Amino acid sequence: MQQYKRIDIAKDQVVPIAEKMRKAGVWLTMIHGFLNEEGLMDISWDYQVEPVIESYHVVGEMTLPSIGEIYDCAATWPERELNELYAVEFEGLDTSKRLFLPEDMLETQGKGQIMVTPLSELRAKNIKKEG
Amino acid sequence: MSYIVPIGPYHPALEEPIHAKLYTEGEVIKDAEVFVGYNHRGIEKLATERNAIQTLVLVERVCGICSHSHALTYAMCVEQINGIEVPKRGEYIRVITAELERLHSHLLWLGVACHIIGHDSMFMHIWDERELVMDLLEELSGNRVNYAMVTIGGSRRDIDDELKAKLLQSLDKLKGPMDRIVEIALNDKTIALRTKGVGVLKKEDAVRLGAIGPHARASGVNVDVRRDSPYCSYGDFQFDIPVVDSGDVFARVVVRALECYESIKIIEQALKYLPATPINLGNKLPKIQKGAAVCRHEAPRGQLTQMVVGNGGFNNYRVSIHVPSYKNTPTIPHMLRGNSVADAGLIIASIDPCFSCLDR
Repeated sequence: MQQYKRIDIAKDQVVPIAEKMRKAGVWLTMIHGFLNEEGLMDISWDYQVEPVIESYHVVGEMTLPSIGEIYDCAATWPERELNELYAVEFEGLDTSKRLFLPEDMLETQGKGQIMVTPLSELRAKNIKKEG
Repeated sequence: MSYIVPIGPYHPALEEPIHAKLYTEGEVIKDAEVFVGYNHRGIEKLATERNAIQTLVLVERVCGICSHSHALTYAMCVEQINGIEVPKRGEYIRVITAELERLHSHLLWLGVACHIIGHDSMFMHIWDERELVMDLLEELSGNRVNYAMVTIGGSRRDIDDELKAKLLQSLDKLKGPMDRIVEIALNDKTIALRTKGVGVLKKEDAVRLGAIGPHARASGVNVDVRRDSPYCSYGDFQFDIPVVDSGDVFARVVVRALECYESIKIIEQALKYLPATPINLGNKLPKIQKGAAVCRHEAPRGQLTQMVVGNGGFNNYRVSIHVPSYKNTPTIPHMLRGNSVADAGLIIASIDPCFSCLDR
């Protein structure tokens, strides 16, 4: 069975940890994010320190530093995804282009609506629109 | 003369939607951009209103080719959260299905690569052999894709002695044609001319951009989840991990061709030492306990990562799926630079892309 270790950190530790991991040649598995049950954003930087996944969590922050300079596309793609689906801001991240959502969606509906709104509400909204 | 050449989003190489913008100077590509997201189905969102068994069915539909990988990784996540120990026989059957899936996926890609470079007779030969693997999968699970072999706590279908003998016999039958395919792939002039030195990804770039799976191993990066972080009894089997240093499309052909042999090796070992335990722990619908888990599986295209968060109820609180193409697609613009427009389709296809997977 694979192992998973949760470590809680503060916002200003994100970049030093990324630099340390990059220097040690550790791969960034993914940047995961979800809204926890208190409604706070829980973002985790998962590094594969084989064979364990070390998961560094920052809870309750909507503006975070980007580690795109350190990990390149392995970091910028997940950051752009979180920016679109949850409206999390990453300082220094280029968000001028969309990654997953349709081109016009960012202008008409705003960011971060998809994963946050309950499915039943989204469904009701679409049924109303179709008449 | 400089032009912007748009490719896609309708099937530039495989039947997958990607849009690439090539900034060219005459025939040579100076820069490139890729755009994804044409097949976003909201599967992660849907999964938040499904229970564990329903989610197995749902995540299996993320991808047509690596469907077993998704179901397996999701089951591993739930088992890790709940602390469920899977019976050995169930794990071995999961491994057999996963390796058969890798075999058919690699043969599919080898065929498609030959088709793109214009070697259609080779394409037909390879896909002919692939049918043999598809028949085995159908025999094993009753389906050509979406095998539904995984349940929480084990596998759903057993392998009896008759099927075991048939599987071993068919794999033996596959070895002769495989030798021939690999020999042609390694020595044929047509394939060498179109693939050697094309779409090079150097080792340092592969590491920096975070490439994974056979794509990274073709650039000399020795990564494989099956060995680095064993799961599902993968530690029990002897197998090699082919690594090639040159980093061009030819290296990717070689790595995938050689990996087929390793898959056959693993399946034979798993069948030979199939333990006599139950295959699963029964069909009771499990609650997903409070907690989170991240699990990884070496899917045919590379490392598949899933995160599952539970809150004590039957439904998932959050499911997050990140497929190997998510890591490999950012390397495409890098590989395209300096190559000719005619090779663009081949280079895009060389990562064995699955953009429908990527968009989820």
